[in-house]
Amino acid sequence: MVVKITQIILSPVLALIVGVFFLGLARKIMARIHWRYGPPLIQPVIDMIRLFYQKSVSHGRMFDLGIVLSLAGSIVVVLFLPFGRMCPLSNSGGLLVILYIMLLAPLGLALSGGQGANPNISIGISRKLILSLGYEVPLLLVLLSVMTHYKTISIVEMVNVQQSTGWSIASWPLFLSGLSYFLILPAILSIRPFDMTSAPQEISSGPMVEYGGKYLALAAIEHAFVLFISIALFVNLFLGGADNIFYFFVKMLVVFMLGLCINAVFPRFRIEQAIKYLWKWPTLLAFLGLIMTLM
Amino acid sequence: MDRNQITKWLKAPAKMANKYSLHAIYFCTGCGIIEVPPVITSRWDAERFGIIPVATPRQANLFLITGYVSVKTLRPIIRTYEQMYEPKYTIGFGSCPINGGMYWDSYNTIKHLDKYIPIDGWIAGCMPRPEAIIIAVTHLWTLIDKDMATGYIKYRENYNSYRKNQELALGKLDWPPLYPTK
Repeated sequence: MVVKITQIILSPVLALIVGVFFLGLARKIMARIHWRYGPPLIQPVIDMIRLFYQKSVSHGRMFDLGIVLSLAGSIVVVLFLPFGRMCPLSNSGGLLVILYIMLLAPLGLALSGGQGANPNISIGISRKLILSLGYEVPLLLVLLSVMTHYKTISIVEMVNVQQSTGWSIASWPLFLSGLSYFLILPAILSIRPFDMTSAPQEISSGPMVEYGGKYLALAAIEHAFVLFISIALFVNLFLGGADNIFYFFVKMLVVFMLGLCINAVFPRFRIEQAIKYLWKWPTLLAFLGLIMTLM
Repeated sequence: MDRNQITKWLKAPAKMANKYSLHAIYFCTGCGIIEVPPVITSRWDAERFGIIPVATPRQANLFLITGYVSVKTLRPIIRTYEQMYEPKYTIGFGSCPINGGMYWDSYNTIKHLDKYIPIDGWIAGCMPRPEAIIIAVTHLWTLIDKDMATGYIKYRENYNSYRKNQELALGKLDWPPLYPTK
């Protein structure tokens, strides 16, 4: 009982630390790719301290509650994810629950932005929802083929099977699904080439345009959680999880670095180009993977 | 970050975080925008010091006004300044915001920008070199350390006179006062 409660408190904190570390690392590595020196690794923490001390103006009750809703949704998803051997809510739900609760994060931001009443927010949110329509189709196909292959919805069991039989990305039909998940990973993280939702140059950072002070700090924390969740899901489903937390984070780091290299070199898609891409190659691969798994 | 700064961080985290996380919104009115990209990109990488450009005044705490200010652009400058959250710092870049510069006798240019919004520091020159922005930021750090970068407090305390000056320049203002006026 005590162990369980400790895990429930500890795992979101760990996820937050890792997510914020990734944010800092992303800025540093992007700077090095640009031949710059780059900010210190703890720059996101400095920014958050500054933002929490800054005054901020609320635009209404939903503006406050929406961001809390999305943050709460992300924290709950973290509780369902096993990292290492640690999974606080392992015997309830599984992949299906994660699929449902993962929707809360963009929904909360959309609700909060709706109260902001800035035209840039509306454009950003409509792009975000169209983009999620784009990546949800291959994502659902991928998760369906994984669940069919292992004949379970529990992530813990999938990890256990992979521990004995090898990574699922190395096995034949699931290789296609893993590749498809990796191809849509930048869209889930909304990093380049899929950062048209929060494009600073076009729509003044989209849904974030009215956030400042504490709201922006909460949005940054939420972004760190989303970063953690989508990479951790990939590691759990396709890279075989890990025995302990350390190996798990190393695997996450490798996946994140690959995503970062894509982020550093690609320009931004327009929204219809993104949909065209997402519904072509990743969906095709995921569909092929599903058929191969069923046969 | 130096190791000897840790005590400073523990003593006044807000002040230190304000110093090392200056998110700049720059208002390019006429010239001076050419000097900003070298500062934020690889030549004089300003992100070393935590300075990054942001797209919206809500997220910014450093306001950089580059080049001359015409009467027409004074309006968005005031709106942008009022939308920023406190604490906020302002830097006038170039000689034109200081005293009109080469437009000293122009009928359509604002000569003294600090009559309309408070300015924490000036960068003189026509045009200043890009590294002058980084030098200005180090001076701003000193001001923040000594609690002298208090432009936003001055604006709150003397809002009546600032508003009166703004109305003199622009005619009737179509937005409500930021602070209660007497």
